[in-house]
Amino acid sequence: MTEHASRWLAPDERAEVALVLNGENAVLEAEPRRTLADAVRATGLTGTHLGCEHGVCGACTVLLDDEPVRSCLVLAVQAAGRRVDTVERLAAGGTLHPVQEAFLRHRALQCGFCTPGFVVLAEWLARREPDASEERVGEVVSSSLCRCTGYAPILAAVRDALGRR
Amino acid sequence: MSRTPHRAVGDDAPRRLDATLVSGAGCFVADVVRPRLAWARVVRSPLAHARLLAVRRGPALAAPGVVAVIAADDVPDVRIPIRIPFGALPEAEGALQPLLARDVVRYVGEPVAVVVAEDPGAAEDAAELVELELDELEPALDLERAPELVRIAARHGDVDDAFARADVVVRRRLGFQRQTAAPLEARGLVAEPGEDGRLTIWGAAKVKHWNRQTTAALLGLAPEALRLVEVDVGGGFGARGELYPEDVLVPFLALELGRPVKWVEDRAEHLVAANHAREQLHEIELAASADGRLLAFRDRSWCDQGAYVRTQGLLPAMLPGDHLPGPYAWEAFAVESAAVRTNRTPVGTYRAPGMTEATFVRERLVDLLAAELALDPVELRRRNLIAGEAIPFTFDRGPDVPPIVYESGDFAGDFERLLDVAGYDTIRREVADRRARGETVGVGVAAGVELGAIGPFEDAWVHVDPDGTVVVRCGVASLGQGVETVLAQIAADELAVELERVVVRHHDTDEIASGFGSYASRSTVVAGNAVALAARALRERAQADGLPLEAAGEVAARFEKAHPSFSFGAALSIVAVDAETGVVRSERHVVAHDVGRAVNPALLRGQLVGAAAQGIGAALYEELPYDEAGQPLAISLADYLLPTAGELPPIEVVVIEHPTAGNPLGVKGGGEAGMVTAPAAVANAVGDALGGAGAQLERLPLSPPRIRALLRGPTGLSTGSTDSETVEGET
Repeated sequence: MTEHASRWLAPDERAEVALVLNGENAVLEAEPRRTLADAVRATGLTGTHLGCEHGVCGACTVLLDDEPVRSCLVLAVQAAGRRVDTVERLAAGGTLHPVQEAFLRHRALQCGFCTPGFVVLAEWLARREPDASEERVGEVVSSSLCRCTGYAPILAAVRDALGRR
Repeated sequence: MSRTPHRAVGDDAPRRLDATLVSGAGCFVADVVRPRLAWARVVRSPLAHARLLAVRRGPALAAPGVVAVIAADDVPDVRIPIRIPFGALPEAEGALQPLLARDVVRYVGEPVAVVVAEDPGAAEDAAELVELELDELEPALDLERAPELVRIAARHGDVDDAFARADVVVRRRLGFQRQTAAPLEARGLVAEPGEDGRLTIWGAAKVKHWNRQTTAALLGLAPEALRLVEVDVGGGFGARGELYPEDVLVPFLALELGRPVKWVEDRAEHLVAANHAREQLHEIELAASADGRLLAFRDRSWCDQGAYVRTQGLLPAMLPGDHLPGPYAWEAFAVESAAVRTNRTPVGTYRAPGMTEATFVRERLVDLLAAELALDPVELRRRNLIAGEAIPFTFDRGPDVPPIVYESGDFAGDFERLLDVAGYDTIRREVADRRARGETVGVGVAAGVELGAIGPFEDAWVHVDPDGTVVVRCGVASLGQGVETVLAQIAADELAVELERVVVRHHDTDEIASGFGSYASRSTVVAGNAVALAARALRERAQADGLPLEAAGEVAARFEKAHPSFSFGAALSIVAVDAETGVVRSERHVVAHDVGRAVNPALLRGQLVGAAAQGIGAALYEELPYDEAGQPLAISLADYLLPTAGELPPIEVVVIEHPTAGNPLGVKGGGEAGMVTAPAAVANAVGDALGGAGAQLERLPLSPPRIRALLRGPTGLSTGSTDSETVEGET
């Protein structure tokens, strides 16, 4: 337990949340009730989208210490001292990540609003479980909502991303 | 310039925005940030129906960071008008929605006040402090007893005579549930007054130009005083982009406060504030001859308008008369639809409005008739679908109602294509084998027509910059469907240039003089043909004058379309039912549609699959129920169940191309087609699986409680279960 997490904050007091955001040290200013999603978006990283703000749709999925979380259900202060990775990290340097290339190849997006959440989730799965079965891919993809595609191209893109790693 | 060997039309060109969107680099309205931004939060009615005696704003005004609190007396006493001319009957006039509730609140979620504060949290906190004094009134919730705004009738032929000659008549009461489009991005707006006194509004979608003109009129401004800008839009499906109270309130506040104001809707708001759709009850009877010839039908329906008539007017009650006849050669029909006003969220359109509900009602009856006649449902349809040689085909509806004209296609032939591709005979055998092994499985089909390509016209402008960039300007809206890619392909094809050289500008009302927008499967047909005409004229002008395209200036063209077009579609669905839990599993879905000509087949398939996926959601999961006090019971995405990858089956597409002579490109609409037949096909598959019990199926969605109730019914299969549970969700 780090020291800064052990003090009570007033509701309107702004905490300085030091963390590693997309591989860089960063400090987010956030009152205790601010969600990680809002705090990350306030830094200009607006690829993390809010589709429901109650943890169902998955558009706001980010990695927290390398595990996917719904950033609308995590408070910014809970990220203190931890690593947060958003969709923006994947194409850092202007080159699309192989998972993103797979999404393009399979036309796995229409409006694109849910896409960052799926891409973050898919990259995590490809790295963590490169041998994931078809059933496991379906299970992971079924955790998030897409209203446009009917999911088949997303499933195909994720399978492809796994196969090519 | 020589024509490139590669034709852009007909090519699976990649979409232009994908690389940006997949990187998270898109700009959606919530991402728009301006200096000195103030945030709006809408205070909404907590009751379905009540007298509004007072709005006490003192405590909210005193809260930290609050800039303003407004209620009805602070805003213009105007009503949001109807956008669609034929939906604007005089009976709707008294039911239009004010910007903020005046004297009475009429649905849970109705805007009553708006709080503006320095940050979104402060606005939301202060909104909780606005006190509403409400005197509760009885809500109207029952469709058959709610006040009727108008009854709309359509007739063809001699119905009484046809029924008198019938050998078989089947009747049912069938209900389609309340739904909403539920795009993954909820609504939002940013409005900013400029130094020149003009106002820029980000967050427009679907119908920018009408919204600009109407917002200006409601605020007493000239249309030129407003600039509407479309940023990336996270799905539309009919609901996003219509003119809602917030679309006028946010610009009003920005002008009043002299600073930019931002409003981003949350999901709980969206589910009560954005348009709902679909809720209808039908009493239908269908007459046929003993040899399976469909003669006539009569239908009475109650179509919920909700608490107000919104921008799409009385469309819900006008559409059954257009869509119930469908693809069969009826001798006669009579349709009477009541628009009823209830104390629920107002009803607008959602992908394939009217046609989806009508197709469910008609196609269920066709299946019930097939059972009555001991005919295969496929065979019954074969005997009645309008054949290619009978098209163009017209249903005359008397002097006061425009006829229904099917201008091109081959309904009977297209239906056979679906059956061939799906392998119907094999499926039938497999279903029989599985039933013999004790499984509760079924196959269902449905046929329907999509109405699309609505006019009246679209304008397009094309010129070529000195660097060779082809600039296409057109007032359509990009909602995720890929219209900018399709229009670029059409321009590239006409000008014989590489696709990469074409840019499509559609985002900004300052750059585009006019536009009707994107709805009713119209963009590829109406805007696409306008772009084709403009590009062709530019090429001809350059050739005639011996000039390069770059020197030929800008050419404008208009494509006019006096009547909408209908195109045929059909679907086949296979389901398995768990007889114990009542869970229906969609195993396979095949959708066929006549698109005339596919400009970008891959994008078109994406539209058909996506729409069919939503239709399966309608059949099995999605519903917006209310309790007896008019409180909405689905106020989160944990209640309003959008299908996930775990529920949806593989969806196959059969793209049929019978080009129409009705426009130069030969294209027909396709954005909604996958939806039209999906709920009907799934419901027929469930009906098939349940056998006799399925005949009593009368309302969607086919949720586990409804399926269990059907199975327990008097004619139902015995499940061996002795439980006495009540049926949740039945009201």
